Amino acid sequence: MGEGIAVIAESKGRPGPFTEEVIAFAQALREDPTAPVRVFVPGMGIGAHAHELARLPGVVVTGIEGESLACYNAEAWKTALAPPIAALKPRFICIAHSADGADFAPGLAVRLGAACITAVESFRRTGDAVTFTRSTLKGKLSVEIAPEAEMVVVTVLPGSFGREARPNPSPPTEEQEAMPKPVEVLGIPALPLKIRTLGILTAPDQAADLTAAEVIVAAGRGIGGKENLALLGRLGACFSRSTLGASRAVCDAGWLPRRFQVGQTGMRVSPRLYIACGISGAPQHLAGMRGSQSIVAINRDPQAAIFQVADVAVVEELVLFLPLLIEACQKRREIGGRR
Amino acid sequence: MHILVCVKQVPDAEAPFSIGSDGRSVNVAEGAWRLNGFDAFAVEEALRIRAAFPDTTVEALTVGPARASEVLRRAMAMGADRGIHILRPGEDDPLPGEVAALIASAVGGRRLDLILAGVMAEDDMQGQTGPMLAEHLSLPCATAVMAQEITPDGGTARVERELEGGFREALEVSLPALLTVQSGINHPRYPSLSHVLRSRTQPIEIIYAGRLPVPPRRERIVRVTRRETSGKTLFLAGTSLEKAEQLADYFLEKALL
Repeated sequence: MGEGIAVIAESKGRPGPFTEEVIAFAQALREDPTAPVRVFVPGMGIGAHAHELARLPGVVVTGIEGESLACYNAEAWKTALAPPIAALKPRFICIAHSADGADFAPGLAVRLGAACITAVESFRRTGDAVTFTRSTLKGKLSVEIAPEAEMVVVTVLPGSFGREARPNPSPPTEEQEAMPKPVEVLGIPALPLKIRTLGILTAPDQAADLTAAEVIVAAGRGIGGKENLALLGRLGACFSRSTLGASRAVCDAGWLPRRFQVGQTGMRVSPRLYIACGISGAPQHLAGMRGSQSIVAINRDPQAAIFQVADVAVVEELVLFLPLLIEACQKRREIGGRR
Repeated sequence: MHILVCVKQVPDAEAPFSIGSDGRSVNVAEGAWRLNGFDAFAVEEALRIRAAFPDTTVEALTVGPARASEVLRRAMAMGADRGIHILRPGEDDPLPGEVAALIASAVGGRRLDLILAGVMAEDDMQGQTGPMLAEHLSLPCATAVMAQEITPDGGTARVERELEGGFREALEVSLPALLTVQSGINHPRYPSLSHVLRSRTQPIEIIYAGRLPVPPRRERIVRVTRRETSGKTLFLAGTSLEKAEQLADYFLEKALL
């Protein structure tokens, strides 16, 4: 077995950035802390990006350049990456569980004959054995999976490998500063492709002002119906700078437009207060709101995963509880106003 | 056109469940099984394509034990023409790599113009089966599709994939191809009673998994545990009114009201 760990960098110009988090995950994962992590950077005109990554301590960069890699394309990515990875035979291949990573990683694993574990949140090492932990059943269960192949492709759920869990990289020595590490670049010929990328589009509706709000009252499928959004609106009106937010399921059902969606593929928010109403708490939703300063969750299901990240948890039927809460809040506002 | 839709039977996430004595499996109540929600969007999308392209057949395929045929009936009640059941007895949930290899072995030789699947299963949330199946069949693949349109000649699909932060990416994919469908691409129809009745007599082709090449098994589930709330979570106690008062006080303390 050659070098232990490879990372596939996210290409420039994509939503993100996720690469640093994946590199930190890979560095924590390696058994020998002096062994470098090999970062593959596919793209076109990647020079600056590759050299920037090569400045990170403990990182060795291999660029892969070709016309077919000018923008992300699953087919081109797999074709360009599989041969150098197969030659290197790393034990772990770490990729961000982003829209792109989730798109090409499983196919790459099949091509390499590697194990594949996606949306990984953490890992555990026992001697030489490593298991990866991920969520199932809308975040209610945690499953530990052991790879049983020589190589394993792991996609890391963005935001789950928090900064506090990352090892402190030692600052580069003067010697390293003076002698930037060389970047190896592999050129690949133009590939015949069945997928053609046409470009990035913004979502049909503009992003809501979710990022500016102090308080977000977020609706999940558990609110029961569109008609109950008015209750959430009334709760929001108790705060000075509030807005509605929504889980993916609520936008899918058409109860609120897509611009209200909070989560990995929606908006990432960090308000002072996040009130999750009837939200089950899938990891993709948590990824978008766990940075909130204070989280209150109201849900009738005491097992709901949203309670795992909540500061305050209320197990109640929403349509019955919210009117009581709104009244209690209004009462306090009135008293405050008279003072 | 021939369209294949891959569907999975999953437990209702709201239903009670228990962890098996082996610490690696999950026991689900009898009536809690249903069609994976993401796959319902895939079935609906297939039916919409059939409406636009006459002479299209839509086949639903699943891998699982006998009870899994229920989701094929559901897909047919929505409007699918036929069902294919790769019968794999046993209650152990196969891993995505195994499922993809089994499906590839079963349908590899057939003429298919389009394969659709949900972006992930609601239970294991791996999102692997679709892109792995495409790789086995050497088909181009796009995941998390939020819109698709097939050219009148049936040769190409123009597709929009969902990226982060509300962005989408437009692609052109040559058919045959595999697309995994993100929720929200459409509104899956509710089966009418007449379709439900008809679905009971529609044919289901059974393929025994044991007669297909043994799929690779490259991962092993070591442990399943209930997610615990972090120690910092405060569960409010008392009557509904008392909880409302406590919560309002909390907002006041945080100077938010």
